[in-house]
Amino acid sequence: MRLLVTGSDIRGLPVVTIDGGEDVAEIRDLIYSPEAGRVIGLTLNKRGFLAGRRREVLPAETIHAIGADAVMIDDESSLTLPDDAPADVGAPPSGRDVTGDEVLTEGGMSLGHVKDVVVLVGSNGEVAGYEIATTSGGTGYIPLPAQLAVSGTTLVVPEATKDFIKNDLVGLGAAVDDFRAKLGIS
Amino acid sequence: MSERFAEAAGRKVVSRTTAEELGKLTHIVVDVKRRQVELLVVGKGRKALLLAWEDLSGFGPDAVMASSENALFAARDERERAAADGKIDLVGRRALSDMGNDIGPITDIVFDPDTGALETLVLDDHEEPATSLLGAGSYAAVIRAPAK
Repeated sequence: MRLLVTGSDIRGLPVVTIDGGEDVAEIRDLIYSPEAGRVIGLTLNKRGFLAGRRREVLPAETIHAIGADAVMIDDESSLTLPDDAPADVGAPPSGRDVTGDEVLTEGGMSLGHVKDVVVLVGSNGEVAGYEIATTSGGTGYIPLPAQLAVSGTTLVVPEATKDFIKNDLVGLGAAVDDFRAKLGIS
Repeated sequence: MSERFAEAAGRKVVSRTTAEELGKLTHIVVDVKRRQVELLVVGKGRKALLLAWEDLSGFGPDAVMASSENALFAARDERERAAADGKIDLVGRRALSDMGNDIGPITDIVFDPDTGALETLVLDDHEEPATSLLGAGSYAAVIRAPAK
């Protein structure tokens, strides 16, 4: 059983220092790498109502944990200026947003379109799956690592994925391990 | 013996040299890095005064004894003013695990009345040893998540 949150749950979370207990920023957005299948960094807003953007970013390796209620960093040195961050975090290439991409199985069946990424609580950006708008008009959750190929508009996933579409995050949390076992991935 | 803040709050603070009551204990300030009681707040509002742990002759079950009435002092800087106002108490603070989950608030603290050493943090539904306290600030106290 794993605890999961969606990208939209993470946006707006406070960034809190472990050594000081201070809320030094809040999450503006996730920088997701479809190739890596994980969140590689987070962009930041200043803390407070209408406070605006912060220049610094949080590369995944500087994140202690993404939680349900806060993103934890050791101290303020985790806040990294774009020039000092890995290039794909400091200046992410455009067009890598998977939101809106169609999810196709290897057999050519459309499972729906990606709405959001689903992140493992307590990790520094490990993505457990995607939230999708299903072809029947509902919301579903599919586990990762599942994609075989990714283009700017489409993800191709193993055929088995269609048996693991879940209605909620709790269901996905339970399914991730089963699904990975089935694909032979630990 | 251990002392709980919830039981000690409101206890009279008495001068050892004059036997006069100086006020009531209202807040306790903990030095988070040392996990040690650092200051006591005596009285409230604008009349609140501070008392360093080192200036106690005893933290007893019936009274907190100050070595002298001169040991009490008014807040001298921003942190001490916040302390006197009860704004940096651990008790009442939001608690976050280092995994980023809200586990709070801290409802009480337990300390050793002989040494002032912080022993236990009392949360809503469980307790954590003081050694789990990683940091505390204006937003939250951060507590090491139990190993799974």
